Amino acid sequence: MPNIVVLVKQVPDTYSERKLNESDHTLDRESADAVLDEINERAVEEALKIKEASEGEVTVLCVGPDRATDAIRKALSMGADKAIHVSDESLHGSDMVATAKVIAAAIGRVEGVDLVIAGNEASDGRGGAVPAMLAELLGMPQLTHARQVTVDGSTVQVDRETEEGLTHLEAGLPAVISVTEKINEPRYPSFKGIMAAKKKPVETLTVADLGVDAGEVGLANAWSTVLEAAPKPPRTAGQRVDDEGDGGTKIAEYLVGQKLI
Amino acid sequence: MNFVESAERQALREAVAELGRSYGHEYYLEKARGGGHTSELWDEAGRLGYLGVSVPEEYGGGGAGIGDLAAVCEEFCAAGTPMLLMVVSPAICATVLARFGTDEQKKHWLPGFASGQVRMSFAITEPDAGSNSHRITTTARRDNGGWVLNGRKVYISGVDEADAVLVVGRMEDARTGNLKPALFIVPTDTPGFEYREIAMDLVSADKQFGLFFDDVRLPADALVGSEDAAIAQLFAGLNPERIMGASFSLGIARYALGKGVGYAKERSVFGAPIGSHQGLAHPLAQVKIELELAKLMTQKAAALYDAGDDFGAGEAANMAKYAGAEVAIKAVDQAVQVHGGNGLASEYGLGTLIGAVRVGRIAPVSREMVLNFVAQHSLGLPKSY
Ligand SMILES: Cc1cc2nc3c(=O)[nH]c(=O)nc-3n(C[C@H](O)[C@H](O)[C@H](O)COP(=O)(O)OP(=O)(O)OC[C@H]3O[C@@H](n4cnc5c(N)ncnc54)[C@H](O)[C@@H]3O)c2cc1C
Repeated sequence: MPNIVVLVKQVPDTYSERKLNESDHTLDRESADAVLDEINERAVEEALKIKEASEGEVTVLCVGPDRATDAIRKALSMGADKAIHVSDESLHGSDMVATAKVIAAAIGRVEGVDLVIAGNEASDGRGGAVPAMLAELLGMPQLTHARQVTVDGSTVQVDRETEEGLTHLEAGLPAVISVTEKINEPRYPSFKGIMAAKKKPVETLTVADLGVDAGEVGLANAWSTVLEAAPKPPRTAGQRVDDEGDGGTKIAEYLVGQKLI
Repeated sequence: MNFVESAERQALREAVAELGRSYGHEYYLEKARGGGHTSELWDEAGRLGYLGVSVPEEYGGGGAGIGDLAAVCEEFCAAGTPMLLMVVSPAICATVLARFGTDEQKKHWLPGFASGQVRMSFAITEPDAGSNSHRITTTARRDNGGWVLNGRKVYISGVDEADAVLVVGRMEDARTGNLKPALFIVPTDTPGFEYREIAMDLVSADKQFGLFFDDVRLPADALVGSEDAAIAQLFAGLNPERIMGASFSLGIARYALGKGVGYAKERSVFGAPIGSHQGLAHPLAQVKIELELAKLMTQKAAALYDAGDDFGAGEAANMAKYAGAEVAIKAVDQAVQVHGGNGLASEYGLGTLIGAVRVGRIAPVSREMVLNFVAQHSLGLPKSY
């Protein structure tokens, strides 16, 4: 009966225009629709599958502003049992180290955790280091970039896939896992799931509740600073080639020129 | 008064929209053009409880209201995957059975409506009784404790997909001998019942049929509810039907408007995006306004109906159905116009909508009959027919 914590993050919808605030170069949350990160939907799905196979419990853990409750509700409507929401103004602009510390402290509030499941990277920051940092902080083994997870009693096996290749990992529980988009297809929340979600407990905590030193979090205490940011240059018009019977050759020449073939 | 939908309804909309988009308009068109049905989508939506949101909880449904079912219908249409049978099966048939069916009928049918496993068509229109439903001639005669049904129906949607048809007919009043309306559940495999597809110039995944009842023998319990409840049953089905009709139109209007706006932002002919020309921007803005107005009226109708105010819901439901149909026609027309020649090219998926949205002006009740209703009941003008 594994006790699972799934980390979820609310991110700006990748389909909407994403911007940074002009003043402090942090994410402009007002400019885009906020959604539960797609990779986290898969993390939730994986947690639910493991739970359904052996009657565990799934706690959703989210660090984010008040409106991140929507992302939490989505995870609960998919079938997670309860949630912890760390919401605190002072967290604004926190870097990955601070975020990992806060998450680690929040995980400490859940008794007898067997598995922590995260996405391998969030679609907004794309740092991809939080799961590893978290494992260090919690003193648990880390099995990252999983495209397949098998929990067997007190051990977990993972097929880890990166650009370098495929690795088969095994660790004793408790452990931290991060999953890639290949892990599964997340379920749609059923109507009953949506209705049940509103009755599920969500514990809201501040940095002080977690006993984390306020001097370790927030933009002012981040280890790195964004000095300047420029929007992506607009896409330039493509190169037009008329096909005069030699279209194929011209495409090949172009691709060779770009070192693509 | 609250103009914001509950968090649960919003979450339901999002979930349905996501599911609809995962199938997409191309899936719909492929089915529609190939003579198929959107069964995969219907079944998946059913399993997730989206089709059964308004079926009572004790029968496995979501226990929510017609407003939620209408939201589901609208979102599927807005995703480019309209399912016409939603207007009929879960909205009219399940509502009538949940409100007026016998305990046995509820136990038999409602769990299937809750999961979407049951599909039921609704047949009222006859060759000589469309707008004038008082002229229905399909009649049931008592026979050996059961019924024998004879008559014809036209333009009945989705019969080939349906397990049964809820047929509006008439029967003899035991006391007076006069004919009075009565609703019967006729399984589609009942001997003597035949249906034939009507060739329609519509590209739809749900087809229309002519129905023929030739001495169709039905058991006693084919009659819905009690003998004298038919008028109430019909009225119970009317509001959901109109609210769903409105939502169906609204969803298609949203889909078309989205397409039109998207194209107006991308396409440029004289240097700037064509959306910068007011000749295109203003009609799109008008559609947006009329769409929001129609949606508001639909939500009002659903809220009144769900609050138990059948009578109050009537006016709003009629107005919503009218406004929804009109804005859908306008939205598709403008989206096509914005697309220029592409608007009529198969690839862009708009041309087939021209016919699809015209249905909303005719069915389930025509624009003129709605205007008659408003003239007579809302304005107190003399009846003209
Ligand atoms: C795609 C499609 C699906 C359908 N699905 C179903 C279904 O599942 N089940 C079902 O029972 N029916 C269904 N119908 C039938 C539909 O409900 C009828 O077509 C509709 O009610 C109009 O009836 P009618 O076709 O007989 O038109 P008519 O009643 O013949 O009307 C013809 C025209 O005269 C106008 N008119 C009539 N009387 C008046 C008046 N007093 N004042 C002003 N104008 C008037 C009408 O508005 C209309 O414009 C469907 C129709 C279509 C097109």
